[in-house]
Amino acid sequence: MKKLKTHTLIGGVLIGTLLILAVVAAVWTPYSPLGIDLRSKLQAPSMAHWLGTDEFGRDVASRAMQGASTSCLIALLTVALATAMGLVVGVVAGFMRGWTDRVLMAFNDTLLAFPGLLLALGVMVIVGANQWGIVLALSLAYAPSVVRVVRGTVLSLREREYVEASRMIGNSEIYTMWRHILPNCVAPIAVLATSMFGWVLLSESALSFLGLGVPPPAPTWGNMLASARPYMASAVWLCLVPGLCIALTLLGINLLGESLRDRLDPRTERA
Amino acid sequence: MPLYLLRRIAMTIPTLLLVSIAVFTLMRLIPGDPVLLMLGEGADPAQLELMRHQMGLDQPLVTQYFVWLRHALAGDLGVSTTNGLAVLPLIWERFHVSAAIVLTAVALASLIAVPAGLIAAWRKDRPTDLAIIGAATLMLSVPSFWLGLLLLMFFGQFLGWLPVVGYVPMSENFSQGVLYVILPIVTLVLVETGVLTRMSRASTIEILRLEYVAHARAKGVPESQVLRRHVLPNAFNPTLTMIGLILGHLLSGIAVLETVFTLPGLGRLMIDSIFARDYPVLQGCLLFTACIYVVINLIVDMCYPLFDPRVSVQ
Amino acid sequence: MHVPVPPPRHTTARSRRLLQATAWALGLAAGTAFSQTGGTGTGQTLRIQINSDIRSTDPGGNRDDNTDNVLLHVGEGLVALREDTSIGPMLASKVDTSADGLTYTFTLRDGVKFQNGATLVADDVVWSWQRYLRPASNWRCLPEFDGKGMTKVLSVEAPNPKTVVFKLERASALFLTMMARPDCGSAAILHRSSVGPDGQWKEPVGTGPYKFKEWKRGQYVELTRFDGYTSRAEPRDGLTGGKKAEVENLRFVVIPDSAAAKAALYSGGLDAFISPSPADVVEMRKRSDVVVDNTPVMSMIALLLQTNDPVLKDVRVRRALALALDTPEIASTVTEGLSVVNNSVVPSSSPYYDAVQATGFKRDLTAAKKLLAEAGYRGQPIRMIANKRYESLYSSAVLVQAMASEAGINIELEVLDWATQLDRYTKGQYQSMAFIYSARIDPSLNYEMVSGDKATQPRKAWDSPYAQARLTESMVSRDKARRQVLFDEMHKQMLQDVPMIVLFNASDATAMRKSVTGFKGWAPAKPRFWNVRLDASP
Repeated sequence: MKKLKTHTLIGGVLIGTLLILAVVAAVWTPYSPLGIDLRSKLQAPSMAHWLGTDEFGRDVASRAMQGASTSCLIALLTVALATAMGLVVGVVAGFMRGWTDRVLMAFNDTLLAFPGLLLALGVMVIVGANQWGIVLALSLAYAPSVVRVVRGTVLSLREREYVEASRMIGNSEIYTMWRHILPNCVAPIAVLATSMFGWVLLSESALSFLGLGVPPPAPTWGNMLASARPYMASAVWLCLVPGLCIALTLLGINLLGESLRDRLDPRTERA
Repeated sequence: MPLYLLRRIAMTIPTLLLVSIAVFTLMRLIPGDPVLLMLGEGADPAQLELMRHQMGLDQPLVTQYFVWLRHALAGDLGVSTTNGLAVLPLIWERFHVSAAIVLTAVALASLIAVPAGLIAAWRKDRPTDLAIIGAATLMLSVPSFWLGLLLLMFFGQFLGWLPVVGYVPMSENFSQGVLYVILPIVTLVLVETGVLTRMSRASTIEILRLEYVAHARAKGVPESQVLRRHVLPNAFNPTLTMIGLILGHLLSGIAVLETVFTLPGLGRLMIDSIFARDYPVLQGCLLFTACIYVVINLIVDMCYPLFDPRVSVQ
Repeated sequence: MHVPVPPPRHTTARSRRLLQATAWALGLAAGTAFSQTGGTGTGQTLRIQINSDIRSTDPGGNRDDNTDNVLLHVGEGLVALREDTSIGPMLASKVDTSADGLTYTFTLRDGVKFQNGATLVADDVVWSWQRYLRPASNWRCLPEFDGKGMTKVLSVEAPNPKTVVFKLERASALFLTMMARPDCGSAAILHRSSVGPDGQWKEPVGTGPYKFKEWKRGQYVELTRFDGYTSRAEPRDGLTGGKKAEVENLRFVVIPDSAAAKAALYSGGLDAFISPSPADVVEMRKRSDVVVDNTPVMSMIALLLQTNDPVLKDVRVRRALALALDTPEIASTVTEGLSVVNNSVVPSSSPYYDAVQATGFKRDLTAAKKLLAEAGYRGQPIRMIANKRYESLYSSAVLVQAMASEAGINIELEVLDWATQLDRYTKGQYQSMAFIYSARIDPSLNYEMVSGDKATQPRKAWDSPYAQARLTESMVSRDKARRQVLFDEMHKQMLQDVPMIVLFNASDATAMRKSVTGFKGWAPAKPRFWNVRLDASP
């Protein structure tokens, strides 16, 4: 119980701050995130610019705020889409077994074997080099992982007595899946989903690093981190700010995810 | 068992074919001409045509695919368009680099994470648990390539203890080779341990709550035996899946780390080949990676029954 | 392939860990000794960074910039670029041209040796050139010499062991220039032992101060001193002149990541870093252990405007964009003051860059807005393609977008990967793009790369009969004064037509440790590591 409270508290504070900033950023930031001011390039944090300025004189704090909205929106949409797709496929595959399982897993492995970068490049060429392209590309890249974990869990669960019982009394497969299997998948999925949020944030960062990702000059934490590399020694705040933002966000999500899982699980011991 | 193995391997063939076709098509749909990239923007169109013809790129797509397939089945994956090297030996060489780092890191991470998760679950909600889960959460919250950059700056540039760039294979010069891989391995271990610890703890908690564990305890079976014989095998299943996932995911996802630490690994080879539109190398890499995923999945699936006898190897 | 083994059975992993721990301890001791410079005394190695592996060891064949940079130490041609980018004799002692420009007679120098000990005779030149002229050799400059381009080589003959005679189909001002092109390997004269009995390429046996030693793919290429090198008498002059291999070995190390290369330079793991970014240069100038040599080069960053596009086909819109930009500010910001603005296609380091060439655009927002109003521009988005592979290109695009918006021009950046952008460039499928042109050593070649008939060559930015006529004349005429007039006329027309807005010529910096002395950068940006010394102290 005590652990629950601390986790929730810290996680809540972090994510709460993030959400507030993201929402505020939609209407107001200290400076325009795209506002170039070449005379104030690469300034260290000061009263005028709380987190300093970048190589074009843009205010880092404002960019970080807008980046919060963008990066988190992309990550949220991707996790939602990937989890939804993966859950459906994983439960069906694991529960049905037989040919359904084999065919689904064949496609799954195909997708899993695709390098994320190629997938991203391909999807973005078709959909366009924008946020939706990235969401789609990353969802396709991560859904197979969800399928695998769900299927693994389902494989163990389906042999349990109550599942057997449900089938024996004549419940349809879908009902059994819905009522007995699905709820028990929630715990591993919750853990996976929170890890995935982090992976997606990092994947977006990697894509930006390699020259893809959300097109500049719109800021995401990923592309801010990528642009900061040449200035690591001379303007270290450019590298620290986005990295810290990602780290703190992940921390918050993970902590909240933990307490969420503890709460969701009906059989948690109340110590 | 051997029959099962053969059947599984036979079933992977459609997957591999699917992957190769998908990649082949996708690459040629994406704009970008390897010949133009090679010869540069000022190149003469006649020379471009000549080069395309020499590389067989002026044939229809289906022909190109079957030519490649025919050679691939004979073990010849072609030759790189950027440097003329044979693809298969090139991939194999690069794979050693990535694999050495990924396998070591995942092994180390598992070594630490699985027992840590177990202990945390066993001592749930007590100070030990809080400490372990706190540390794990912190570790997995740090972006790995940011961590890598910071470590590199600190140990490489600031302190000068470790080399900042380059690579020497350990087969050539072990002690020097090790220096180059320490930082990437440490970076990976730090992050992956966090992930695996949480997974291990979560699934152990699940198991600990089940009736047969309570039964065993009620029967007076010593705690350590309960853990070893009843809890660990069952809790390990999802963690095993996770390890398999991580291994597969890292072996290609390691590209960004390879860039930060300038390691000539498989990830960077694949990325470079995408940007250079080096089709033979990309095809080869994908085929290779797909095979690896298949092998990992196969092994993981075969390990399930080892730990949970109720899962049949169907 | 390792099987992931569950914890209780990890004996192999445990002993591996022990081994690694020991190695770590040993390695740490070795590691401190590791970060020294590359050796002292005899057996010195100069470690130079290249940002990608070379393509092959065949000069002028499958090549890119890095390949050229390495192989120009190994091979030499009949003529070569001088420091001021004019052409001077290299393996030839003199060159005679017939009055009609159809016959070139090269007299070879005495006693020049190949790296395998053989002496250079006219037959070797004939063999090399016959190989270049065969399509199967994939020589980059072949189209210029086989009739499709500037001229056609009818014959290459050796009337005596010291003379080689070239007969051409048509006269051209650029015959020797093409021969000396660094991106064609300087038409290096190679010994026939470079090729196997079946015609397959083996390794380059040239006449240069360094000979090919080893190529570890993906890691490095190493060249070693050719002790029998016969140098020209005069001092170093471009790619010709006197050359001396002061350092015994040159090792070109493949480090694609510039942040890693910079770190290696600082820690002593690298001696020279080719093309650091402008931001890096500013940082390095503050350090005492690193020296930066900076020279303006002939590559060019420009904004291409598609004159076929519905929005941009109105010249007033294009001119408005040119007037909305503060091009001197863009140039100095993007290059950290290392390059100055140049609105002309002719590079600022070219001998033909005169006062007329130096004229360009001056920012005038009021005039820009007026032109836009006249043209009826209502803020339609104009997409500009850029990429992140070339930092200066990307930074320029960002600044252009910001400046243009102040005049009310709505530019949307589209960041693509280089291969895709090249594709769009070649097909002319863009509204606008920020593009980088590689160096050309003669202004005719510069104008040729941007002008032409768009119907047959969609990649050409400027479709203008006025320019075409003058371009053709400049390629044939060998009169310098006349050519200058032609170039000036073309430039003035370009400022009127605005098919593109040239921003600046890149500046090539080379960063080196203080122990490296004698290096000098130059306009074609081909680094030369002969006559360069490595002092013993780090």
